[in-house]
Amino acid sequence: MTLLWIALLPLLGVLVPALTAQRGRSFCSLATAVLPATALVMTLLNVPALLDGEQLRFSVTWMPELALDLAFRLDGLSLLFNLLILGIGLLIILYAHYYLAKDEPFGRFYAFLMLFMASMVGISMSDNLILLWLFWELTSLSSFLLIGYWSYRSDARKGARMALTVTGAGGLALLAGLLLLGDMAGSFNMGDVLASGDVILADPRYPLMLGLVLLGAFTKSAQFPFHFWLPHAMAAPTPVSAYLHSATMVKAGIFLMARLHPAIAGSELWSVVVSLVGIVTMLYGAWFALMKTDLKGILAFSTVSHLGLITVLLGIGSPMAILAALFHILNHATFKAALFMSAGIIDHETGTRELKQLGGLKKAMPVTALLTTLAAAAMAGVPLFNGFLSKEMFFTESLATPVLGGVSWLLPALATLGGILSVAYSLRLVHAVFFKPAREEPPKTPHEPPHLMRLPVEILVVLCVVVGLFPAFMATGLLELASEAVIGSPLDFHLAIWHGVNLPLIMSLLAFVVGIALYWRHGNVRRFTQQFAGIDARRVFERILISIGYRSEQLIAALEGNSLQRYVGWLWLAALVMGGIGLVQITDLTGAAGNQPLDGILILGAVMLMFGGVATAATHRYRLISLLMLSVVGLFVALTFARFSAPDLALTQLSVEVVTMILLMLALFFLPQKTPRESSPLRNVRDMLLAGTLGLVIASLNYAVMTRDTLSISSFFVENSKPGGGGYNVVNVILVDFRGFDTLGEITVLAIAGLAIFKLLNRLRLFMPHSDGEGRVWSPDRYPAVLTSISMTLLPLALLVSAFIFLRGHNQPGGGFIAGLITAVALILLYMARGVAWAQERLDFPFQPVAVIGVAVATLTGLGSWLFGHPFLTSAFGYFSLPLIGTFELATALLFDLGVYLAVVGATLMILANLGKVTTAHRPVTETSGKDTDAAAATSSAKEPR
Amino acid sequence: MRPEVALPVLLPLLSGAISLLFWRSRPMQRFMAVAGNVALLIVSLWLFVSTLSDGYVTMQMGSWPAPFGITLIADLLSAVMVLMTAIIGLAMGIYSLATTGRGHEKFGYYPLMHLLLAGVTGAFLTGDIFNLYVWFEVMLVASFALLILGGERAQMEGAIKYVTLNLLASVIFLTAVGLLYGMVGTLNMADIALRMDEAEHTGMVEVLAVMFMVAFGIKAAAFPLFFWLPASYHTPPVAVSALFAGLLTKVGVYAMFRVFTLIFDQTMGYLQDIMLWGAVFTMVTGVLGAAAQYEFRRILSFHIVSQIGYMILGLALYTPLAIAGGVFAIVHNMVVKTNLFLISGITHRLQGTYQLKKMGGLYRERPWLAIAFFISAFSLAGVPPLSGFFAKFVIVRAGLEVEAYVATGIALAVGLMTLYSMVKIWNEIFWKSLPEDNLVPETATPTGDDGRLLKPSLWMMYLPVMVLALSSLLIGVFAEPIMWVMTGIGDQLLEPRGYIEAVLGASASAEDVLLDSAVATDEEPKADAGEELP
Repeated sequence: MTLLWIALLPLLGVLVPALTAQRGRSFCSLATAVLPATALVMTLLNVPALLDGEQLRFSVTWMPELALDLAFRLDGLSLLFNLLILGIGLLIILYAHYYLAKDEPFGRFYAFLMLFMASMVGISMSDNLILLWLFWELTSLSSFLLIGYWSYRSDARKGARMALTVTGAGGLALLAGLLLLGDMAGSFNMGDVLASGDVILADPRYPLMLGLVLLGAFTKSAQFPFHFWLPHAMAAPTPVSAYLHSATMVKAGIFLMARLHPAIAGSELWSVVVSLVGIVTMLYGAWFALMKTDLKGILAFSTVSHLGLITVLLGIGSPMAILAALFHILNHATFKAALFMSAGIIDHETGTRELKQLGGLKKAMPVTALLTTLAAAAMAGVPLFNGFLSKEMFFTESLATPVLGGVSWLLPALATLGGILSVAYSLRLVHAVFFKPAREEPPKTPHEPPHLMRLPVEILVVLCVVVGLFPAFMATGLLELASEAVIGSPLDFHLAIWHGVNLPLIMSLLAFVVGIALYWRHGNVRRFTQQFAGIDARRVFERILISIGYRSEQLIAALEGNSLQRYVGWLWLAALVMGGIGLVQITDLTGAAGNQPLDGILILGAVMLMFGGVATAATHRYRLISLLMLSVVGLFVALTFARFSAPDLALTQLSVEVVTMILLMLALFFLPQKTPRESSPLRNVRDMLLAGTLGLVIASLNYAVMTRDTLSISSFFVENSKPGGGGYNVVNVILVDFRGFDTLGEITVLAIAGLAIFKLLNRLRLFMPHSDGEGRVWSPDRYPAVLTSISMTLLPLALLVSAFIFLRGHNQPGGGFIAGLITAVALILLYMARGVAWAQERLDFPFQPVAVIGVAVATLTGLGSWLFGHPFLTSAFGYFSLPLIGTFELATALLFDLGVYLAVVGATLMILANLGKVTTAHRPVTETSGKDTDAAAATSSAKEPR
Repeated sequence: MRPEVALPVLLPLLSGAISLLFWRSRPMQRFMAVAGNVALLIVSLWLFVSTLSDGYVTMQMGSWPAPFGITLIADLLSAVMVLMTAIIGLAMGIYSLATTGRGHEKFGYYPLMHLLLAGVTGAFLTGDIFNLYVWFEVMLVASFALLILGGERAQMEGAIKYVTLNLLASVIFLTAVGLLYGMVGTLNMADIALRMDEAEHTGMVEVLAVMFMVAFGIKAAAFPLFFWLPASYHTPPVAVSALFAGLLTKVGVYAMFRVFTLIFDQTMGYLQDIMLWGAVFTMVTGVLGAAAQYEFRRILSFHIVSQIGYMILGLALYTPLAIAGGVFAIVHNMVVKTNLFLISGITHRLQGTYQLKKMGGLYRERPWLAIAFFISAFSLAGVPPLSGFFAKFVIVRAGLEVEAYVATGIALAVGLMTLYSMVKIWNEIFWKSLPEDNLVPETATPTGDDGRLLKPSLWMMYLPVMVLALSSLLIGVFAEPIMWVMTGIGDQLLEPRGYIEAVLGASASAEDVLLDSAVATDEEPKADAGEELP
């Protein structure tokens, strides 16, 4: 249980600064430190148990479907990292307390820092691959927030974005790698995975997995060629840099390689790739550390270099190399944290980090100078400091390893070169800042920082020295535990300062002599390298991203071009290609039922249909003619229905045809009669091909379906129409009963369409065309007397007919839909004959409620059946007899049909009336006021939010 | 009788009708916008609980037995989708109160919102393929009306593209339904599924499957059929954008999940490749489209497309885990994508623009908004422990299981591009300082033009944003129970027998439920066909 708390406390610690930020910085800093300190103590309390060889594990299942457990372990490796993360973390909190400026939001800073710390502790203690990855991503996220802490600075934003992108990419590779790894091991439990190294190495997916995992580790630990984000992460406040570079973030990749070492390391591939990448990184980083003039830049590249060193050791992979790697992790964390904090102090007190502006600071800041010198000595590997010990071990291992086969001599040679560079840049750092006289004045007059700000540096430097002097006493226990965790068996070793005069010592001496010489002449070297144009990694990175954006914009533009025609073209093409693949698989288009006998009338009908269709398209530039051709299609569709004994459908089609034609004509009135030629002949050919092929495909499909016999549910409708639905007219019973729910949806569509058109037309301001397409002036007699009188006579008649059609609909062809259309036609005629003004006076009520009431009536009729405990829309009917009239039938379906009727009438007239109003004075009363506010809104909307 | 399966359709329908009847009463419409959606949320929860305990809830419309009448059926998938719809609907109802202009309110914004929701829930709950078409139409026409409500030129242009392409989708859908009916003689999806097992597989089935795929692919905005979406979604008022982003494409995806697990489950082998690569291209083109954009809502629109790819990928991989992941992605996306649009509305109100270059400084000014955006955006990019991570994770895991390495790799890479895109927005709007040339509109300060309204209205905008951001976080933390439901959905979808039996009765599995006489004749034509064929 304590394991859970160790992992959880820092996470809870995220809330502490958020809650205490109001109460002043000192309180907040103290409160923030409490939880990690507790976690540190709890970690230490577990050490005795660990020394007894106990397996410290904690596990609860979290998401069993995903093999994700909340599982933690504390072994030697976790212990080492926990101590670093929590210990240095506490020092960073103390340091940041003094570092941040007064007005900076420190609560936010601490919260992010704690999140970072918690995720690192999580990585170090995870006993489940996926859990580990979760924390891994959290470090990317929290470091993003930390690096971008000074978010008003462009370099901070860009550095943060770059770090997140690079480590995020690595993280995703790692996810895939870990999933593969778990799959290969058959478990996501760390213990199981580590124990199944043989199985994993034998798996054919091993190279893929290894590549992905290493990608994750290398990006995180800034290994070449993914190192470039790290120097740019220097835009972060120095406490963050110190933490990021010593104990956290970049160490996560190293940790991962160490953690998974037993499972994935035992192959040639691993040794070669990891040690080569490591050695390149080491030299590359060291070289640039020597070239940089920014204090933090030097330290950043030296971090890259040291990470490379550790990676080489992990690549070599012998037990002593692992030990050396772990030791160097510890040493590097201490001296690098100290150096960064010193750099922060210098920056803080002088206002600059540029070497040019710094110099001679030993007078003003003697203590800081001493501390920095000692830490830098550790970094350079001066004897009696901790860095010396692990570097000697590195040299020893580089001599002993057979990794590179015949060119094994290369490794010690390059290691010595790394040592030379490391001595040179350490020397330069100390000398240029503290001892060499300044060339320019720093922005601020330097003086020593507050003592407590220096305290973390002092602690760390003391550690460097003490470990360097008494390595056996200070580090053996910890390293024993840690190396056992990585190697799997206890390792017998003895840390000592003096091993006698041997090759590694000679290599060290060489490094010092040449390193000092190199610094002495490094001005020449710099001048030499300045001839080469430097590459700004960030610039390259951004340029790549911009070009991705640009390319994709081009790609999208090429695909769509913001052209509706092209969209439609793509759509049909996709449909055609995808459907065509299926169509060629149909073995026999003609089904078992065969063809129907043809007769003259059928052929004529079919020809007329085709003619209508083709003519509509061909005459599309002459809108009126095209519309007429369209009506030919409609008419023949109606005739087809009639021919195949569907009188209801024929009636419906006819009345729909009439209404739509009239409405379309009204709309055409406002449009030019002709449209210019818009498509090139080539495009016409293309479109014709596309349309023709599509038509053929659809026709073939229809043919194939219709020549096959199927067993349809329609017989049920025929049989149950009367006994179950109480009506002889099957179509109507289907509409209002069997499938009344469809109808409900459709009348809703109609009502909404009415609303939409109402809205669309309401804003329109159209001019009445003076003349028709040929320039003929419209007749001044707008309301011909004959039409007027006929329409007047027709109206009651039509209403009567529609009532009749409506009432008989349940048993004879008819019903609410047709009746509604007939009513609408009659009213349309009236509108046309007498004009909107006249009709408006007499039909002075808004139509939208009519349609809505229709929908409501239909819905409520359906709901009515619930009162009787039946499902929605269950109909009831009964026969009643009245004197004189006789027996008649009443069905709830009739009520539903009434809803349909009202919806149809309402929607149609809503469209019509509004279309009519466009040209008359009879616009809605709210119109003028509405126009004003709308216009005002339109002009102001450019500046104001809606 | 189980009213909870019909109420999620009927309540918004009635709310819409009531709001329309009170055409002139703004308070009444605003009241209904909240009350109606609260009611919808309640019945949706009811339905969800019912499906959790019973697996399936059905109602036969008009009491007609199953293949003949229209069946409403909720399985876990439907119930989850309806529940999400209700949550989005309520969030939108509240948000709209603060953002909807008088002009919109006057022309029926709220009723249209209700009717749109009715269309969406109807599509989720129907068990009848033609009825599905009907609800698609309700949805389409309602969304069209909402798009044109502003009447601005850009909105018209977007709306025309939107309606043209969606109408074509409807045409294809309707044709496919007609052909399907011609083939199997029934419209009830469970019944179709049964008969499909018996139908001769002569390529017709494949063609039909492709037609459905194209039709739903357009609705879902999948590659190469997505163009209407980025052309139109950034034009209407932000609440409408958010509503569309959260719901509409998801209905298309839902229909794919339904149809391809129930009806065309036998055909998947052939279609799987098309679907898989369609999904991959959808992911990639979407995210690439976003890369070049600097308009907040257009970036988000392209990301809708990209995310659709993940969902379809889940279906295309066609294992229970993958489908669970796909549905997880839908649920997560509904929350997160809606929320991102809502946030874009707030930032627009605060800074008067959607152009990233002209915005900035909100990190310091509006920390809570920054947190909400951070959660939503990083969730969209699939960063743990937020909701999007689990969706992506499950799909990736399923992809690796079936060794679809390329598709999985691309899915991961797209996640990275998404992250980059979100960071772009974050850097520009939140971290960067406000550029000098952006004169923050007066409405941002309480003394502004509409200042009297601003304080409460901003609160109404914040409330849904905060709740949705919190849900994204909670979905991540409590992913376990959600994953449990998702696994249940995966099992239900890939084992359609339960669905079929729920609709047609337990005997359905043994034999077709057509009339007894019909069953007898069923054998004959087939035998004849065999003999007549040369």
